[in-house]
Amino acid sequence: MSVIRSMHAPPGRADRHRIARPNGWWGVVVFIATEATLFGTIFGSYFYLRFRTAAWPPKGIPDPAVTVPAILTAVLVATSLVVQLAFWAGRAGRVRAAQWLLVLALIVQGAYFGIQMHLFLDDLDKFSPSGSAYASIYFTMLGAHHAHVVFGMFLELFLVLRLVAGLTNYRLIGLQATTFYWHFVNVLALCVLATQIYAAL
Amino acid sequence: MAVDVRAPEHPRVQRLEQVWEERPGILGWLTTVDHKRIGLLYFFTTLAFFGAGGIEALLIRTQLAQPESKVLAPDTFNELFTTHGVTMIFLFVIPMTTGAFGNYLVPLMIGSRDMAFPRMNALSYWLFLGSGIFIYIGLFMGFGPNAGWFDYVPLALRHFNPGPNVDFYALGLILNGVSSTLAAINFIVTIFKLRAPGMSLNRMPLFCFAMLAVSLALIFALPALTIDLVFLELSRKVGFQFFIPGNGGDPLLWQHLFWLFAHPEVYIIVLPAFGIATSIIPTFAKRRMIAFPLVALAELLVAFIGFGVWAHHMFATGLPTITLVFFAAATLMVVIPSTIQVYAWTMTVSAGRPEFRAPLLFIGGFIVFFVMGGLSGIMFAAIPFDQATTDTYFVVAHFHFIIFGAAVFPILGGMYYWFPKVTGRLYHEGLAQLSFWLAFVGTALTFFPMHIVGLIGMPRRVYTYPHGLGWDSYNLIETIGSYILAAGLLLVAFNLIYSRFSGAPAGPDPFHGGTLEWTIPSPPPHYNFAVIPTVSSAYPNWDEPDRAVDAGKLERGELTYEAGHETPTSTVRDGVFDEVVDMPSESPWPVTLAFFAALALVMVLISHYAIAGIFLLLVLFSLAGWHWKEPQEA
Repeated sequence: MSVIRSMHAPPGRADRHRIARPNGWWGVVVFIATEATLFGTIFGSYFYLRFRTAAWPPKGIPDPAVTVPAILTAVLVATSLVVQLAFWAGRAGRVRAAQWLLVLALIVQGAYFGIQMHLFLDDLDKFSPSGSAYASIYFTMLGAHHAHVVFGMFLELFLVLRLVAGLTNYRLIGLQATTFYWHFVNVLALCVLATQIYAAL
Repeated sequence: MAVDVRAPEHPRVQRLEQVWEERPGILGWLTTVDHKRIGLLYFFTTLAFFGAGGIEALLIRTQLAQPESKVLAPDTFNELFTTHGVTMIFLFVIPMTTGAFGNYLVPLMIGSRDMAFPRMNALSYWLFLGSGIFIYIGLFMGFGPNAGWFDYVPLALRHFNPGPNVDFYALGLILNGVSSTLAAINFIVTIFKLRAPGMSLNRMPLFCFAMLAVSLALIFALPALTIDLVFLELSRKVGFQFFIPGNGGDPLLWQHLFWLFAHPEVYIIVLPAFGIATSIIPTFAKRRMIAFPLVALAELLVAFIGFGVWAHHMFATGLPTITLVFFAAATLMVVIPSTIQVYAWTMTVSAGRPEFRAPLLFIGGFIVFFVMGGLSGIMFAAIPFDQATTDTYFVVAHFHFIIFGAAVFPILGGMYYWFPKVTGRLYHEGLAQLSFWLAFVGTALTFFPMHIVGLIGMPRRVYTYPHGLGWDSYNLIETIGSYILAAGLLLVAFNLIYSRFSGAPAGPDPFHGGTLEWTIPSPPPHYNFAVIPTVSSAYPNWDEPDRAVDAGKLERGELTYEAGHETPTSTVRDGVFDEVVDMPSESPWPVTLAFFAALALVMVLISHYAIAGIFLLLVLFSLAGWHWKEPQEA
């Protein structure tokens, strides 16, 4: 039994010496499980309401836009790769590479968020969330997803600032957790897009 | 035995004491991350809410003692029964069993020095405290929740309920739900990762299995409530249409989402009670639990099946027959794991040499009420019977036998059982037994007649009733019973307070319990275990050779980790030693974050959304400040 004082060992080495997943890995996985249930409930409510209504979207409300959101979602999903590369770079000890990859992800995601907010406000001008159950669930779902994008960017920003002072095991696990969180947010983005395509068909 | 592992004068033990000691005074309590101190904070807070909920219950019973009574106005009555339900479920039973019992005991039972995420543990407590204060501020301002604990729409919508009463309920419970979710994540990771090396899953105490089942249920059940409450607040505050039939909404959506949460919730309430029972029974029956693996599986299975039965709360809402039949069948299935456990408890007692001291008496009472409440529960699976008794006192009788008889009795028994561990003193046995009989008789008198008045037609939630319906004498008996019950509970409180100051010294292991918390001094030191204990069975304190091994390890400095603020982690299934992790020390950020989160909700309540946004930003800043200081920098 070799005792690994992981927090004092160079980060990355401890990661390779572990035989089980660290606490932080489990923490973020369980957190994502509960978050996924949260979105599952939103999607479930979406279809519950849909099958109690004849026209979806109801008369007077335009079909949701599909082309621009589809392109945007593709761009957002691509950032999954960037944050994953950032984690791999961090694990290999290349702190600066990890940092710049996170900055790149942040720029792309920030642009995504900006355009999405523009579309969101545009939709709000066209129809009100208090006009029908469709509009209510539509704006709630999009709003919930955008909030998750903002939180994901907050995590990245935090890490970019922390990595200035170098890498520790704590930050490496944080980087991995953020990676997982972004993969999750991106899967959600695909689900949200699927409901928009469904309503537009 | 050469050296006692508990030896306080050993230099390694003194070093541990220095490393793990926290700041004294009020500041120490505000910044604490010690699971035992957080457990105590939870304990006293939930006890205060239990007192408040109890007073509400007594007021309700006083009003109903006689027909056409005018003790309470109808509106006040509505607020009291709603707040009573919300308090007992969200501010007493769940935080008491998970927050107080779970926090204090799980790390001690698995041989760890703290929870997996100590600062998040503190955050759970402060958020919980915020949610409780939030809801009670509403009540004291005259805006207590008033639409029943399940808060059905359209009654809870603005049109029928224009005051802020329901907003206090919805926002308070969102905060409460976040707190419970964080606590559940913490328990799952703690149980998976921080077990002492050697404690494979099949050697884990059944109490921890119960906590694992509860935590998994919370993780997957709470989001439904949170989303439901968000829908409700959006409907009330800005006119969203989820529940308005004319606009494509459906009021039944509220009920589906609510019960999708609230039926698992019932098992979340009773599962820790099962865990407490499986801790107390082996100690006083002086033998291992019979059918240990089956009981462990049954605990997990109850939590799992609990997700498939929610619509049996909605049999009277006009769902399709096929739906009703499915949920009736699923409801019957819950009988199987429940019965496995009842047999295991009773057979362990009868196969052992039971010593009926107060904790075991309370477990006896628990089994009686659980079986009776369970039997009336099965009756609801008969759809026509359910439809006939929906919203009558029969339902009230059933769920109070479960929630009070089956959930609170083990809590009371557990308070006596672990009192010597927490305080280092023994409780008064005679008074404790008297308090049991008062509580037992009081519970039976209060809730049993409710079955009868329910069957002869008394609806629940009426603030009064006329003469001559044959309900008068039953209601009077119930009220008398509730006062006897209150006397029993006050006696419990008196006994514990009195014994805290004048009880006989307990020593580390007064009952010769089987689990690891009995291997350490009472009260436990800050670092819990001087040596991370050797475990080779589910009842490690009964494995005397292992305890001698630990004493040797203290001498050699094996698994003592006195150099830093550390605890070892192990693999999830087999409990093989993995690595040593630094544990965070006290931090001012959890309480700060909870404060800003609560203020954000206050701003939502009074519709100042921009200011609420600023407070949410401050929540993010607190989160950043929190993680700026890393555990190894302590």
